Amino acid sequence: MTTKALLSSAAALALALGLAGPAAAQVESDDPIRLTLHDWTGQLVTTNLMARVLEEAGYTVELVQADYIAQFAGLKTGDLHVAMEMWETTGRQAMDEATATGQVVNFGPTGMEAVEEWWYPSYMKEKCLGLPDWKALNDCAEAFATAETAPKGRYLGAPVTWGGFDEERVEALGLNYEVIHAGTDAALFAELESAYQRQAPILMWVYAPHWSQTKYEGEWIEFPPYEAACYEDPAWGINPNKTHDCAKPRGPIWKVGWAGVANKWPGAAKAIGAFTISNAEMDRMIARIDLDGEQLDAVIADWMAQNEAVWQGWIAK
Amino acid sequence: MQHRPVKLACRGVWKIYGPDPARLLAGGARPDLATIRASHHVGAVRDATLDVGEGEIFVIMGLSGSGKSTLVRCLSRLVEPTAGEILFDGRDLLKASRAEMIAIRRHKMGMVFQHFALLPHLTVLENVAFPLEVQGVARPTREARAREVIALVGLEGREGHYPRQLSGGQQQRVGIARSLAVEPELWFLDEPFSALDPLIRREMQDEFLRVQRLLKKTIVFITHDFDEAIRLADRIAIMKDGALIQIATPEELVLSPADDYVADFTRHVARAKVVTLGRIMTPGPAAEVAGALPAHARVEAVADRIEGSPLPHAVIDEAGRVIGHVGARAVIDVLIGRRIG
Amino acid sequence: MRAGEGIAGAVPRAGLRGSGAWQRGAWLWGGIVAASLALAAWVGPVPVPKALTPDMAGWVSAALRWLVERADLGLFSFKELTRAIAAVIEWPYSLVRAALVDGWVEGRGSRARTILQPLSWIAVIAIVAAMGAYARSWRLGAFVGACFLYLAVFGRWESAMVTLASILIAVPIGVAGGLGLSIAAWLWPRFERALAPILDLMQTVPIFAYLVPILFLFGFGPVAALIATVIYAMPPMVRVTTLALKSVPPELGEFATMAGCTTAQRIRKVLLPAALPDLMVGVNQVIMLSLNMVIIASMIGAGGLGFDVLNALRRLDIGAGIEAGLAITALAIALDRLSQAYAARTADVPMSAGASGGWPRRHPWLSTVALVILGTALMGLVLPPVASYPAEAVITTKAFWGDLVKAINIRYFDDLEAIKTAFLTFVMLPVKRFLLALPWPWVLAVAAFAGWRLGGAPLAATGAALGAFVLATGLWEQAMTTVYLCGVAVVIAAFIGIPLGILAAANDTAGRVIGGIIDTLQTLPSFVYLIPVVMLFRVGDFAALIAVVLFALAPAVRYTAHGLRSVPPEMIEAGIVCGCTPRQVLTRIRLPLALPEILLGLNQTIMLALSMLVITALVGTRDLGQEVYIALTRADTGAGVIAGLGVAAIAIIADRLIAAGAAHARARLGLQRGTP
Repeated sequence: MTTKALLSSAAALALALGLAGPAAAQVESDDPIRLTLHDWTGQLVTTNLMARVLEEAGYTVELVQADYIAQFAGLKTGDLHVAMEMWETTGRQAMDEATATGQVVNFGPTGMEAVEEWWYPSYMKEKCLGLPDWKALNDCAEAFATAETAPKGRYLGAPVTWGGFDEERVEALGLNYEVIHAGTDAALFAELESAYQRQAPILMWVYAPHWSQTKYEGEWIEFPPYEAACYEDPAWGINPNKTHDCAKPRGPIWKVGWAGVANKWPGAAKAIGAFTISNAEMDRMIARIDLDGEQLDAVIADWMAQNEAVWQGWIAK
Repeated sequence: MQHRPVKLACRGVWKIYGPDPARLLAGGARPDLATIRASHHVGAVRDATLDVGEGEIFVIMGLSGSGKSTLVRCLSRLVEPTAGEILFDGRDLLKASRAEMIAIRRHKMGMVFQHFALLPHLTVLENVAFPLEVQGVARPTREARAREVIALVGLEGREGHYPRQLSGGQQQRVGIARSLAVEPELWFLDEPFSALDPLIRREMQDEFLRVQRLLKKTIVFITHDFDEAIRLADRIAIMKDGALIQIATPEELVLSPADDYVADFTRHVARAKVVTLGRIMTPGPAAEVAGALPAHARVEAVADRIEGSPLPHAVIDEAGRVIGHVGARAVIDVLIGRRIG
Repeated sequence: MRAGEGIAGAVPRAGLRGSGAWQRGAWLWGGIVAASLALAAWVGPVPVPKALTPDMAGWVSAALRWLVERADLGLFSFKELTRAIAAVIEWPYSLVRAALVDGWVEGRGSRARTILQPLSWIAVIAIVAAMGAYARSWRLGAFVGACFLYLAVFGRWESAMVTLASILIAVPIGVAGGLGLSIAAWLWPRFERALAPILDLMQTVPIFAYLVPILFLFGFGPVAALIATVIYAMPPMVRVTTLALKSVPPELGEFATMAGCTTAQRIRKVLLPAALPDLMVGVNQVIMLSLNMVIIASMIGAGGLGFDVLNALRRLDIGAGIEAGLAITALAIALDRLSQAYAARTADVPMSAGASGGWPRRHPWLSTVALVILGTALMGLVLPPVASYPAEAVITTKAFWGDLVKAINIRYFDDLEAIKTAFLTFVMLPVKRFLLALPWPWVLAVAAFAGWRLGGAPLAATGAALGAFVLATGLWEQAMTTVYLCGVAVVIAAFIGIPLGILAAANDTAGRVIGGIIDTLQTLPSFVYLIPVVMLFRVGDFAALIAVVLFALAPAVRYTAHGLRSVPPEMIEAGIVCGCTPRQVLTRIRLPLALPEILLGLNQTIMLALSMLVITALVGTRDLGQEVYIALTRADTGAGVIAGLGVAAIAIIADRLIAAGAAHARARLGLQRGTP
């Protein structure tokens, strides 16, 4: 596809899709299936990819902007139908609460694994020998300090709403660091961009899959590996009196949705359940969009052209 | 002028502003000014009683704050009086329902406002046709009627103008035309010429008299300008502190003011402008006369003629009967301000 | 703000006070500040007893849950009602969207067939240019056309049309709703009294606080965003219209009665037309506020330029963010100038020429535009660049902006860091520590006392009651952080804004330049500069402060300039005749006389600063805005509403106190508030 075609109006796109679509396979219902869009690129890719595939299968799809947590209200009532990325690390609680009502179901893993952890750019290894081991952190607290936090080191945490127990971790592991919360995803990476441009010290929360993994060279801090007991049982781990003396949990990214989807569009429910993609594939697509400035539609079209067998398998009867 | 049938009358009308006006008037009480003030009320109109005859120009004169504007608004029921009766053709307006009031105003009343109150977004034609429009009169009919009254006030050719493209005098002509569009029986004019320059004011007064000679409406005219009042009025009511102090013809006001307050107004009025021949004539016929003049003619208007004649003039009443005669000496007495009567 | 009227009773007392009393006042307030410092140093913060912080958030959540899930209006439930409203709004919205963006499409999804293309970009530009030329002059037409051309040339056309579509729906609804409410207020004074506090809340509660209930009630998607936009943008329309209806000359109302108008005729044929020029001011406000909402609306599904901004900044593509942000500014300025021109036009109706001839001759504008629409539609079928702006011709300055920020970052970061650290250490942190250390009973007492001094017992009661509400939210610390951040921001905005206003009033060229900058700052979404600010200053209070100051600067400048310009010329002449130097004319005559207006400007600055609170949460402050934001992301309706009401309480206290202060100043100067 040429760039020009991609930039053509939505109407033209709809027209093109209409002509290119298969001879309108019979589907259970013509009502639109509503997929939610959030505010990170990976999720836009997963969702748009799912949407294209469902359209190939003959379904009508609508994409709706919705908040990551607030969307559960819509998923319960059936206003919204599918949320393509619910991260084990951040969405577990809301997801459990929603599935407990029976109105929301888990469509299974996306195949991607969510990582959230303390992270530093590679150039910091010279200034702080001993990294990535967490025990090195206290020795180079000075190196990570700013005027406001000195003599403590500065750790840039995620928005408060993301949780993460970093204050608890700092205390449990006796880290000489102050946790500063960025307000948003954008603010978080703006600081990284700024520091990286200057090759200045920074220690912060990074998550993957994310374009930062492609753009910046860096490493995760290695904390004692996570176990469920670490978060619940103070006796666990090196600090016998505190919980959270370990790394953050890693886990799958789930697909969730309205319980009624399976009845109304059984074929679609099956396709959504079958959808899987790997971290590496996702990282590549995110990087093409966010770093190379390619259009989302083009990147997805490329993937679909190269992996036709894969997605045809999802919608095969 | 008591021979005219009464068109509009008001009986014991009060308008009191304040926390509890009804209490002050409870049981038909008639509180005086001091009582009203002491209870933190304002007596805008106090116990007003008057009759306006059909075809009469009745002027209510008072300084600002005297209550004249409130009184005229009580008469038109723009303001709800606290107590009293307003009789229009013998029927109490205060008992009329909302719908009846709308009907009465649509067909029987017209009003001209001090600041013209023209609608800025409508042309002259649309402004004048507006009262007919709200009645639901069809466009061709109402515009034809509007053109008639626009011609009557001398504004032909300006139908397409907007109010702000007109001078103050012209704007008030539009206001007058608009108030006449529905052919009202009762015509209220609230200080219609006060906002105009003195020269224009004079011209508009002449215009007003000309129109009234043609239409013979029953008129309640508000002014704070005593000269204007005596120039236009058949009768004048003088108001002060919300009360009517004296209701009389201009001549009576000047010659026998009810109190010092009225006398203060009339002191500097040229007698010749108000005194009529009927007032200064010698009763009975004269042996030989130069001609006949009506009793209601004002001295100023006929002074030249009487002075220039060696013989006296006969004075006749409205039926043409000779009721007296008047000579140069009597006229000169008035002109130089010698005491009369 | 309208609050000035409420405390009119206190004015005469103030007017009698002489300068001796003012000195006493200075001593008094000095004493209070000294006592506060002492209390902060030696007593420190007093914990708020649990009994004083009931679970209001829980109550609100429960009430809203009831409203959404169970409230029944007889034949249908409340939610069915709101959903029906949403459906009614959706219909015209899809129509406008079809005309501007999507075209008419038959069928859905993959079976869609385009029947009719949307309006060509050339046609849209021609339409707005013609509107500008019709409303005022060819110059305005060219300017508006150029603003829209920017949208096409910088590749923002489709997004801009999505945004324009929602504006074209939100603005009429806001205007109609505002008219309806203010007519009701005009008809029933009791309704007006009930409406006043609701308007205050609509203007001061952050949108994020009621976003979740709106999503519940109106469903996810563009319509919910439209409703949120309308709620935010409507209050000024109500205020302006209520005032306009009241300031129609009473004689016109009496004339309407005497002409025998029914109530409906009186409103429709007399009052509204007579108030039209003022109403257009309200329409203009609705347009500008709707555009302020573009970013937040895009968060809940409105798409368009707001989404472009968010999307660009998420990728840290600062250049793209600035371009998309400037597209919002271009749209806002174009619509602002157009609506102002129409307002001036209705105030200055031209003579009706009574042109004759066929329809095209009588309507030259409409027929020309119709011709352009038809022509471009037909040409678009064979010439794609006519239908949609050719991608090859899109230009971009993205790289420039990115490089600029990078260059500044690399070269000046350390200097900026030093400035920031100094400012934080010597100004912000001491103020923050001081405010947080104040015992809450003392703060409430001072709020009540200030109310009593400025507005007597009623205002004292208001101050104490609202302060107590803030306490009861259980968010005292966050509230004081809010006061600190907004307070410092307002002081800085005043220090920058008032001199700029003086400059703008003194020199026409400077006035135009400053006006342009202010307009841009107010319409450019703060997100656009927030990210570069974070890059240069890191997350934290200082970055938030800069964003708040930039946004809240405008009224300080505008009101100062307006106040100085509207000093009666004879006062200035009197000064010159007395031998004042230009400097003395400024300091002795113009500034004192402009004081009430400057105070009102400060009041507006505070309001804007508070309305930026939620945005500051995005760079990591820990104030009420953050609470609202957290509540939003957790879909905790009650907590969001309560924190939002806390912001509103602070805003209303500030508003009432300053309005009372301004009324004092006016009374002392013997001035009347402007022309009605």
